[in-house]
Amino acid sequence: MSARTLVPVAVTGLVLAAMSHPAVATRIASALGDAPRRALDVDRLLALAMQHIALAGTGFALVAILGLGLGILATRRTGARLRPAIDALAAGAQAVPPVVTVALALPILGFGGPPTLLALVGYGVMPTLRGTAGALEAVSPEARAAAEAMGMTRLQILIGVELPLAAPEIVEGLRTALVLAVATAAVGALAGASTFGTPIVAGLQNQNTVPMLQGAAATAALAFLGDAALLGLAAALRINRP
Amino acid sequence: MPAITAVAGVAALAAALVWTPLLVIAANRLVPGVPVTGWATLGPALVAILACAAFACALFAGSPGRRAGAVALFLILAAAGLFAWGLGHGAAVRMEGRPPAARAGLGAGVWLAALWFATALGLATRRIRLAGLGAGVAGLLVLALVLAGRAGAFDALSLAVEYAARRETVQAALWEHLALAGGGLGLAIPAVAVLSLWRRGQDLVGIVIGGVQVVPAVALLGALVAFTGGLLRAVPALRDLGVSALGPAPAIVGIAAYLLLPLWRGLAAALRAPDSASLDAAKALGLTRAQILLRLRLPLGAPQLVGALRVATVQALGLATLGALIGAGGLGRIVFDGMAQFAPDLILLGAIPIVAVSLMAERGLSALEGSLRARRPA
Repeated sequence: MSARTLVPVAVTGLVLAAMSHPAVATRIASALGDAPRRALDVDRLLALAMQHIALAGTGFALVAILGLGLGILATRRTGARLRPAIDALAAGAQAVPPVVTVALALPILGFGGPPTLLALVGYGVMPTLRGTAGALEAVSPEARAAAEAMGMTRLQILIGVELPLAAPEIVEGLRTALVLAVATAAVGALAGASTFGTPIVAGLQNQNTVPMLQGAAATAALAFLGDAALLGLAAALRINRP
Repeated sequence: MPAITAVAGVAALAAALVWTPLLVIAANRLVPGVPVTGWATLGPALVAILACAAFACALFAGSPGRRAGAVALFLILAAAGLFAWGLGHGAAVRMEGRPPAARAGLGAGVWLAALWFATALGLATRRIRLAGLGAGVAGLLVLALVLAGRAGAFDALSLAVEYAARRETVQAALWEHLALAGGGLGLAIPAVAVLSLWRRGQDLVGIVIGGVQVVPAVALLGALVAFTGGLLRAVPALRDLGVSALGPAPAIVGIAAYLLLPLWRGLAAALRAPDSASLDAAKALGLTRAQILLRLRLPLGAPQLVGALRVATVQALGLATLGALIGAGGLGRIVFDGMAQFAPDLILLGAIPIVAVSLMAERGLSALEGSLRARRPA
């Protein structure tokens, strides 16, 4: 994952972030022929950003831990028997869109963050789990046999051979999960979580284009910048696609 | 299956039925209700259900054979049927003589029990090792539930009461939902075909439609509404064609945008499916490029195409839910109405068809994909 992918993603994120600024968003809205209405000021945007990042970040951390853990477990000799169950559960969870999970969890968990977090974890675990398990299974048997012949223990093989070889694919799964986390946190606005989705939903209801555009641009900016951060982290760790 | 897993399985069902509430009885659909546990709802039927389940689990633990699996399947089906009947009957007994506003909502125990039955049925059908049995059993179960519902077995449950009050709305919303998802697919498929024809630009196409995936759906829909509004102000003639800023048009465009990547990847994989020897042979036979595409690439790549269609269809059905946010209708509208009113049954009324349709599309298309793969000569 070279600068070739990182730079355009980061630049797109920054352009979108600029579009969410009140002055720019007002100008875009008036270019679209909308009557100028009150925009969200920068302080409010930053407050929403902190809440959005906190919610999406918590969910992403949970997804990463669960997805990686279950993915590793599913590819161990002892976990192989759990594989069909894990696959069935993951496929079932995928058939329930995040909005629907948020809606279903609302009466049980109440308004705000918790239903969003549940939807985030339920929907996000799948790509990470699939990515991790698939990548670990794709590690060449020769590499594993060589490590065994060198007398490495199973844990050493996992940490020293399998995970480094599988890392690029695992990062791909994590990128999908991060984008899903940012998107689901925005959907959480429907359940009363205060995120960048809040001005979008409110703007749609009041036909107020400016905050709607600001929220949309800010959500997209967050997704692109998060993606760029993960790409940068992978590059720093020298995880390169073969 | 080790004996300890079987015992744990029975214990899990017993715990779900005995301790968690099966019904929640409330004076109306807005106030919090009083939970009713399994014993109070099901009565002696509870014992029969648990006995069937225990026997089935004992068979799972005792023998891995197909015959034991078949007996277990019948036992689990009997337990599930008894459970459904008992639930409807228990609700009817509780609702008798109450005002029509009173509601018997489904408690957490129902969902836990449903999950248990689904897992056990999956286990039993896998043991019997008969192709298509799982889908057949699921179809039969749904049919039985629908027929029982028609016959009035569940009339006292609040979900049925809500459905009876909104039958037309739900059915119309289902069609709108399918139209939104179908419209998205119908727009994305030709778009992907055209994009794939531009051979030189494939790198750029990949970057752009990959970038679309990063944009959260709520944000894209919001932006599309704003831009459709701008477009309508610039070209008012579009209004006469029935396009409006809030409505199906931006929703279908938004849905289609997310389907481009899976479809484009699938098409690329399908076109690469034939090996170079077959392609050389086709060229040596004097086939034109169009003939190679129609007779070689597309038939050999059919599993990849159907696989991409499966991913795209499930995504489209999920995304169509968000369409309600921008006034496009669909089942999402019922879900959002339920959220606004904090009415769990209304949310379920919208959510159950969404999940059912998604699962049906996923299962159906993946079965088609599997049979195409099996037919393809290795």
